[in-house]
Amino acid sequence: MANIRQLDKRRKSVRNIRKITRTMELIATARFKKAMDRAAAATDYTKRITQIVQDLAKSGTDVSHPLLQAHDEVKAVDMLVLTANRGLCGGYNGSVVRVAVQRRNEIKEQAEAGQTSVSGKRGIAAFRFAGVPVEKTYSEFEDQPSFDAVARIADELITRYITGEVDRVDVAYTKFVSSSKQIPVVETLLPFAGIEVPASSTASNSSDKTNTEKKLRDDYEFLPSAAGILEEVVPASFRARLFKCFLDAAVSEQIARMVAMKSATENAGDLIKSLSRTFNRARQSKITQEIMEIIGGVEALG
Amino acid sequence: MSSGTGVHCVVVTPEKTELDTHCDSLILPLFDGELGILPGRSPMVGRLGFGLMKLKGAGKVEEWFVDGGFVQVTREAVYILTDRLLKPNQIDRATAEADLKKASEIRPATPEAFALRDRALAQARAKLRVGT
Repeated sequence: MANIRQLDKRRKSVRNIRKITRTMELIATARFKKAMDRAAAATDYTKRITQIVQDLAKSGTDVSHPLLQAHDEVKAVDMLVLTANRGLCGGYNGSVVRVAVQRRNEIKEQAEAGQTSVSGKRGIAAFRFAGVPVEKTYSEFEDQPSFDAVARIADELITRYITGEVDRVDVAYTKFVSSSKQIPVVETLLPFAGIEVPASSTASNSSDKTNTEKKLRDDYEFLPSAAGILEEVVPASFRARLFKCFLDAAVSEQIARMVAMKSATENAGDLIKSLSRTFNRARQSKITQEIMEIIGGVEALG
Repeated sequence: MSSGTGVHCVVVTPEKTELDTHCDSLILPLFDGELGILPGRSPMVGRLGFGLMKLKGAGKVEEWFVDGGFVQVTREAVYILTDRLLKPNQIDRATAEADLKKASEIRPATPEAFALRDRALAQARAKLRVGT
């Protein structure tokens, strides 16, 4: 009976698919752990930078830098969209593209110029399909983005912002909140808001004792000068911040793929179960029919 | 930094903590010249330039290329924050040359753009100087 053979064939192919999705899930799990470790290793640098900024603020330096100042008139807005190079990761790419396109339409109403850059083949394809012009594309970022490559993009953005070619830079990516929560967001990276001057300078004045203790601990010498260090701290923290976006996107992608592949594997399992049931039923009914035929034949003879 | 027997030196890049070691003394390429650090150095924060960092310890000198950043000397340790930490033989001369060419072609119009160009020039030149 052709139906039985077809069912068996179908069941075999679903089994193969389940094998593939299970493997992909395992790979995504391994990559997720690696990406997580990288993201954790990267926090050391941000912590140290924050420390230096706090020391600078305590020494009474006026924290100002061209990257921190918002431009008076917002004419050009750059946007960077971080997506994955590969699909099969649930709604990961789709949701980033959705928020990005939405923000881009909002931008269009206020600013006429500005570049849109997209990282990841999926995002590039989605933007092409949506008919949105894209100036720059990157597809070299996989699950372990290298700082060198990110720094090049960051330096370019810094130059464009400082020379006044662009007045705001937005980044659309999937923010990693926890391993069970990742949200697609659009964040404004320039003018840079990542440097927070701690409020402790006023708090420490409240009690003289802590003040002197702090002074003893943090009486730093600045070479060449506090202002000279600040000049370098701001771009460095911006680069680190952008790198963090790439790392977050990479971690979120692996989680999304893990979840998608897990449910695909489960679904394949259910499908196999129901296919097996139909197959067995068909086989049994075929056997019964044959027996009936034989009995019928014997009765006719007798 | 404790005035013990050596200097605890930690090098942090945006990717990870590259180096966590103890040495007798170290020499750092600051923004405007070299700086030597001996055990017991008073706390300071310095801006790093591009060049060779030398770690002296156990009778030998270890050399690393640091790519800008900062040094923070605390009572506990010397923290070096740099974008990249490379062995001199890991430097990609071809890319450095391309960067130098690109940077020299920039015609800056504002003081900020001048500073950016100078930085790019200094970085590329230091790489070519140190790279083998």
